[in-house]
Amino acid sequence: MYVSWNWIGEFVDTTGIDPVEFADRFTLAVAEIEGVSHYGQGLDQVLVAQVTEVTAHPNADKLRLAHCDLGDTTVTVVCGAPDLRVGMVVPFVPPNVTLPSGITVRDGQVRGVDSPGMLASEADLGLSDDHDGLMDLAELKCAPGQAMIQYIALQDVLYEIDNKSITHRPDLWGQLGMAREVAALLRRPLLVPSTEVVWGSKAGPKVTLDDHASCRRYLSAELDHVSIAPSPLSIRMRLRSLGVRPINNVVDATNWVMLETGNPLHAFDAAQIDDDHIVIRRAEPTETMVTLDGEHRSLTNQDCVIASAQEPIALAGIMGGQNSEIRAETTRVLLESASFDGANIRKTASRLGVRTESSARFEKHLDPNTAAFAAHRFVRVLHELCPEMVVVSELVDCGPHVSAPPTPRVVETSRSYLRSRLGLSAAQLSDAWMDETLSSLEFEVTALDTERLAVTVPSFRAGRDVSIQEDLVEELGRIFGYDHIPSQAPMISAHPAALPAGKMQERRARAALALGEGLTEVVLYSFESDATRQRLGLSELDAADQQRPRLTLRNYLSSDMRHMRRCLSNNLLESLEYNLAQGTRAAEGHKGMQIGLFEIGRVFRPIHADQPLQADPGIPAVLTSDSERQTYLNGLSPALLSGVEQAERKAIALPSQPRHLALAIGHRLGGGQKGWVQPLAEVTRSLYGQAVGAIERLLRQMCLPEATFKKLDSTDKRLETSLELNAAWLHSARHAGIWIADRLVGVITMIHPDVRNSLDIPAEAVLAELDLEVLLEIPPVAERGQAPAKFPPSSFDLTLPCTSSVRTREVLDGLTLRLSEVNSDIEVQTQWVRDFFDSSDQYGRAMTLRMTCRRLDGSLSDNDILSVRSAAIDHLDACEGVRPNWGDEIRAMS
Amino acid sequence: MSSDTAPSWQADIDRLSEQLSEAISGADDLEALRAVELAALGRKGSLTALMKRIGTLDKDERKAFGSASGGLRGRVTKSLNERRETIRRQGVLAELSDSSFDETVPGRSSELGHVHPLNRVQMEAEDVFVSMGFEVLDYPEVESEFNNFEALNIPSWHPARDMQDTFWLESGQLLRTHTSAGQVRAMHALKAPFRAIFPGKVYRYEATDASHEHTFHQLEGLMIDRHVSVGHLLDSMRTLLSAILRREVTVRLRPGYFPFVEPGFELDISCQVCEGTGCSVCKQSGWVELLPCGLVHPNVLRAGGLDPEHWQGWAFGLGLSRLVMMRYGIDDIRLLLGGDARFVEGFHPGT
Ligand SMILES: [Zn+2]
Repeated sequence: MYVSWNWIGEFVDTTGIDPVEFADRFTLAVAEIEGVSHYGQGLDQVLVAQVTEVTAHPNADKLRLAHCDLGDTTVTVVCGAPDLRVGMVVPFVPPNVTLPSGITVRDGQVRGVDSPGMLASEADLGLSDDHDGLMDLAELKCAPGQAMIQYIALQDVLYEIDNKSITHRPDLWGQLGMAREVAALLRRPLLVPSTEVVWGSKAGPKVTLDDHASCRRYLSAELDHVSIAPSPLSIRMRLRSLGVRPINNVVDATNWVMLETGNPLHAFDAAQIDDDHIVIRRAEPTETMVTLDGEHRSLTNQDCVIASAQEPIALAGIMGGQNSEIRAETTRVLLESASFDGANIRKTASRLGVRTESSARFEKHLDPNTAAFAAHRFVRVLHELCPEMVVVSELVDCGPHVSAPPTPRVVETSRSYLRSRLGLSAAQLSDAWMDETLSSLEFEVTALDTERLAVTVPSFRAGRDVSIQEDLVEELGRIFGYDHIPSQAPMISAHPAALPAGKMQERRARAALALGEGLTEVVLYSFESDATRQRLGLSELDAADQQRPRLTLRNYLSSDMRHMRRCLSNNLLESLEYNLAQGTRAAEGHKGMQIGLFEIGRVFRPIHADQPLQADPGIPAVLTSDSERQTYLNGLSPALLSGVEQAERKAIALPSQPRHLALAIGHRLGGGQKGWVQPLAEVTRSLYGQAVGAIERLLRQMCLPEATFKKLDSTDKRLETSLELNAAWLHSARHAGIWIADRLVGVITMIHPDVRNSLDIPAEAVLAELDLEVLLEIPPVAERGQAPAKFPPSSFDLTLPCTSSVRTREVLDGLTLRLSEVNSDIEVQTQWVRDFFDSSDQYGRAMTLRMTCRRLDGSLSDNDILSVRSAAIDHLDACEGVRPNWGDEIRAMS
Repeated sequence: MSSDTAPSWQADIDRLSEQLSEAISGADDLEALRAVELAALGRKGSLTALMKRIGTLDKDERKAFGSASGGLRGRVTKSLNERRETIRRQGVLAELSDSSFDETVPGRSSELGHVHPLNRVQMEAEDVFVSMGFEVLDYPEVESEFNNFEALNIPSWHPARDMQDTFWLESGQLLRTHTSAGQVRAMHALKAPFRAIFPGKVYRYEATDASHEHTFHQLEGLMIDRHVSVGHLLDSMRTLLSAILRREVTVRLRPGYFPFVEPGFELDISCQVCEGTGCSVCKQSGWVELLPCGLVHPNVLRAGGLDPEHWQGWAFGLGLSRLVMMRYGIDDIRLLLGGDARFVEGFHPGT
């Protein structure tokens, strides 16, 4: 919305104030000014000219020559306006003047005739869009040759206010409200315009107010002998400068008063309303109407309408109806000045997608008293625009606000409280200054004693704006100027603060995966698209698996965002696919053949219907009694209640939303090969090993015990866990559950070949997801300082041919156990070193293990090593899948 | 054997002495020198063989032979050592004047990964706040209507309560529209007086473009104490923001309406680009709007179980996404959650 400095100047003496400098102060004290513009810049050079003679242009049919009187001189210019005629008083723009429209008038010839200047239309002067004819200044009664702006205020400074900064201030939606703030800031009196009206004696229009919820006050009156005509130029120009199109004197008067007071008005053509009977009611569910903009509107019983006995004649507070519009022949007018409920107006306006100056104001919940003020102002203004108008009826004033007027709000506070909340002393914020400021804002201050105050809030601030003493702190603070409040270091308690365990854990994870493993962290959306799920083959599973409920949005921006993610992996896989596709020049990419990503974030799961509900710790203790909870539930919008009722009426538990960590490493194909369905076994093994290594590093960084990896079986899949154990990307043969002791903390898997195909991951990828909340519950490994061993170790390697069914973990665990029994003085560490795979060999695989031995009490002897070695061989000999009878050869060799 | 004639072995010793000293000085490296040493002093070496001849000599000759051959052995050992030292020295000198060493050869190190800039900035901010005694809290993203609105004194008629701005779940719960949803949680969880921040993801039902996202990150700050004034807020915000933004900032407060604070403010900071003199970034004002803040509304304190007669507070909501964009000159917010690894890899690795 715009604030007109000229208009403000009519309500408060602004002499000596530079509006541009003042804008800063206004922003800091009242509302944010987005821009200061100089309306009508350049118009001061424009002169008044009277056309004395019109002659033909020698070279052009459509142009004529206008001979003009400029007072002391005359001028002849070329003019193309069709309405040019002798006697007209019009604006003359001398050469080299730049107008607000951007036009610079040149001193030159037009089609071979000298034309030193031009006669201007309103559009030429940037005053309107009206290009049709010359601007007619006759009504100004001005002398030729004088500057035009001497007769009409066409220059103004406009503040463009950020509407969002005044949503809570209905009083600021009119110029008068803004002027009150300026008056308070300048410490000058506010000159409130006159509301003196002599009402008629005839009974007013019959108003039936049915919809008390939507309309708190309705004022009406009958005005007769109106003659519809354009408003005076000065009125039209003022309206235009504030963005309102002039229509005719009656409509202009409603708009003028709306801009002045902030309260929108409407005027009906009384001839169109039977018996002057006005009904304020909800629309019938099937009712329609045509609004002033020519649109057909289908109404619902949520919409408030103004109706005649037969049909709606206005969409209350939003727009009038075409059927009762003011016409050229209108003589009798019914005024409407009302106060409609903001929420209702907002609902209807947003449902119909129509937002008007009127609805924007009513949405802010206007003060019903302003409606009465505006009704009086309308009569005063229309009298000026249409002096023959007669107020024939009394003023009708009805509605709940009139039958049961609210008592004025009184806020009790104390001077010391107001000062202390601002951080100001009595010397800085005196009693007198306080009182003066509050009264300039029309608060009534009554001193209860030297300290305590009873402050009566003016009705235009009492709606939803000022209700507690903190609000008064703001009133004083902003007028005092927050920039004048000295900043003051708070006295705060000293206490240790540390990052919580969850945050530390996330940091360690980042250090392990980004710095240790070279993976890149992404942060993805929490929504999951149906398309993704379809591509991942999850939709079928969803249908089959009722145990896979997801959180579903009631309102969503696109079908992509209908559901909340249950795991991180789905979106991470899609991101991996995208990033693999970007790396077409893999060999040159700095990460070579791989892309590795990870994400830390929350996943979302509804609470099962049969799961016991826990009270949400977020619901405050003050709500613990059933009746209070009931009140809280009743406060929920009805649309939401059904869902809440289902959830639980007694306690409202939030869905589980544990933090997870997922990582995905994908392998790129070199040379852009596509459709490579058979990934190299080595790639698979190396990616898997890499991911396992990353997870092991992650767990070490979190000081957690070592994890074991083993395939999930059907019992595991029934575990209560927030991990996806049935996902389509889970590879039935190449996956593992990640266990720490008996707790399943994560899942790792190569990507299922079908998913690889549908995701266009041509080579191979591995995926792992861990539940960080479960990891947080596992006690970290205790650290202990240990003196380094005194005696040097000795180690030997064994390379074991073995079949593909062998599991390294079992071999190692068995061997470790066996070797611990060899000699209590000898400590043996068993380590996997590497695997060799050779499909031409009958076993296909050879595993190299390293045994590192150390004597606790001295140096190892050859015999010590031999005894460990032969124990190892004996043990391995008996291991299934490890090459049989192989020990003899080794023994022979040694 | 008479003493006036040279004994027959003398010539052999002389010859060997000459041979060996030639061989020693001819050895160019340690390996060759070692070969010479073995050839002379090894088990089958020439000097070793010579010295064995002592057994064939007469008793009276043995002394002279012993002293002559022993002398030779001494000289050979000494010149071997000297030669060895010379060669080693030459090696050191040669290494010290090596011109083939390419000091510009590119380094080889294991590739470092990258932490997302949102998390980097968030972690940095957390550290700043922790250093000033703030607790760091982490709260759910799916919230109750109560915590997100009701408890924050956002009345049912407020536009924010519409479907328009909020993602509602079928269950009647919602995706928190601001980290302020944690205020009441913090008041219940911590014992007053306290100060805390709670960063995280928030959601708005809002169409997406270069400067709007339906998902973004905020950081809420809350301080509760016995007496908290606008003056305190000014001082705290200046100190904290200077630390977060890593420069001395000037702050100013403008009235701003947020139902959970009263008085509520829009906080501006001095423009970094022009240092307050006015430029296109700050629309010539010298100030850049940074965050909303204010003194905690008594209704919010009540919802948090605190008696407004005894407790006061301030709160602010910092746009983390916006802070990241400001710091790194990112002009499209959609890059942050776009999942493109190349964007993240454009930042320095590390945490
Ligand atoms: Zn600037």
